[in-house]
Amino acid sequence: MTEKFFDEINDLKSDVITFSWFAEQMLKNSIEALINLDKNLAKDVKKRKKELVQTSYQIEEKIFSIIALYQPVARDMRTVVCSLGVVNAAERIGTYGKDIANIVRDFPERPHIENLVSIPHMADLVIDIIGDTINSYELEDISLLAKLSERDDVVDSLKRSIFRECITYMMEDPRNIAICTHYVMIGRYLERSADHACRVAEKVHYMVTGERVEIK
Amino acid sequence: MVTMTENVEILQIKNLNLWYGETQALKNINMTFIDRQVTALIGPSGCGKSTLLRCLNRMNDIVNECRVDGTIDFNGKDILHNNTDPVEIRRKIGMVFQKPNPFPKTIFENVAYGPRVHGINERKELERIVEESLKHAALWDEVKDRLSESAMGLSGGQQQRLCIARTLAVEPEVILMDEPCSALDPIATSKIENLIDVLKQDYCVIIVTHNMQQASRVSDSTAFMYLGDLIEFAPTRQIFENPKQELTENYITGRFG
Ligand SMILES: Nc1ncnc2c1ncn2[C@@H]1O[C@H](COP(=O)(O)OP(=O)(O)O)[C@@H](O)[C@H]1O
Ligand SMILES: [Mg+2]
Repeated sequence: MTEKFFDEINDLKSDVITFSWFAEQMLKNSIEALINLDKNLAKDVKKRKKELVQTSYQIEEKIFSIIALYQPVARDMRTVVCSLGVVNAAERIGTYGKDIANIVRDFPERPHIENLVSIPHMADLVIDIIGDTINSYELEDISLLAKLSERDDVVDSLKRSIFRECITYMMEDPRNIAICTHYVMIGRYLERSADHACRVAEKVHYMVTGERVEIK
Repeated sequence: MVTMTENVEILQIKNLNLWYGETQALKNINMTFIDRQVTALIGPSGCGKSTLLRCLNRMNDIVNECRVDGTIDFNGKDILHNNTDPVEIRRKIGMVFQKPNPFPKTIFENVAYGPRVHGINERKELERIVEESLKHAALWDEVKDRLSESAMGLSGGQQQRLCIARTLAVEPEVILMDEPCSALDPIATSKIENLIDVLKQDYCVIIVTHNMQQASRVSDSTAFMYLGDLIEFAPTRQIFENPKQELTENYITGRFG
């Protein structure tokens, strides 16, 4: 392959990394907007959705043209395939950020219930998982992914406990129903985001080692 | 019950070393070729691909200063043994070269040449063999009305398929091809590639190619050679998805030297 190809691969990787942090930021800011009921920040996150979609489209185009023009093999092929997976997952994660921002926009003018149950804690775990997968892609280092399956299990059980807790509050007082329904939805979005990060982790693993693994 | 997918080991190279004068061109090669599969040999120029191919049908005999050591087992016989008849080996293990090399004779005579050498003279039988071989080489429809014309009037791609037909006419078991498409345009190349796919239903095919995509398209196994060493020999998918040797990886991804 030519020098030009190596430049293209390097460019692609740095585009994917920038894009991933952009999506991660959308999710992170949506949670901040939720915690502080900051409707301006929510509005701002929502606005970023357009750029999210456009950029993911552009990076996909770049990937298709690399495949069409260079037909990469071996590690280069795995890098390109992995990059496509990272972009798709990041686009999903950013979209969950937008979905959470939408909820914040429609949030009842009332304070949070029970300190948002476990949502802030769950969000921290999910954001960390996403960050580690982006770093593992950038550094091509799978050691960051060692405990990912266990970390994802914790996220799953938090989602279930948020659900159970919210049911209790809704039964206690029907005025909690609107807010608790939002919490349940957000718990689900966070859990899905962590799942997408796990799929990315599998692809990074494939990129680095050539072996397919299933993360739980 | 006989299963069609059973892997029959047709050729086994053991501890093969080869020298041209003082320089060693093959270094302790060990490989097994499976019948009805296509094996591709890849590697940079001068790594020994053609030399290895030539060992398989004793073509190195004609090279001065060439010394070989080791064994190549074929149907229980050692190809390299002094008592093995090279003419018989070359009938069973045919070779197609980089440049199509038809004889300056008619299309018919090109294909009939081998069978004649092996003692077949009956016209009807020769006609049958010529037709069958040309059909098998996917050339029949293009030449059936001009069998008595000179082979030199055919296009490069047709000439190459004629050479394949000529090889098939003597009923070989193994077909060796040394860069068979490097003198051909993409359309002629894809015809040869399609043909290789058909031929492997009946023959063991071993092809040297410097076109990596061709290796990945046509072969079941790929061997990567470097400076006379066999570096990696594995299923083609593995070589192109996840090679185990860094040298292989560097070569197929173009990060060489
Ligand atoms: N007839 C010959 N006499 C001397 N050296 C040869 C001869 N043929 C090939 N060689 C040498 O052997 C090595 C392998 O050559 P070859 O098998 O033609 O490589 P490849 O087909 O991989 O390009 C090269 O160094 C080449 O110079
Ligand atoms: Mg050669």
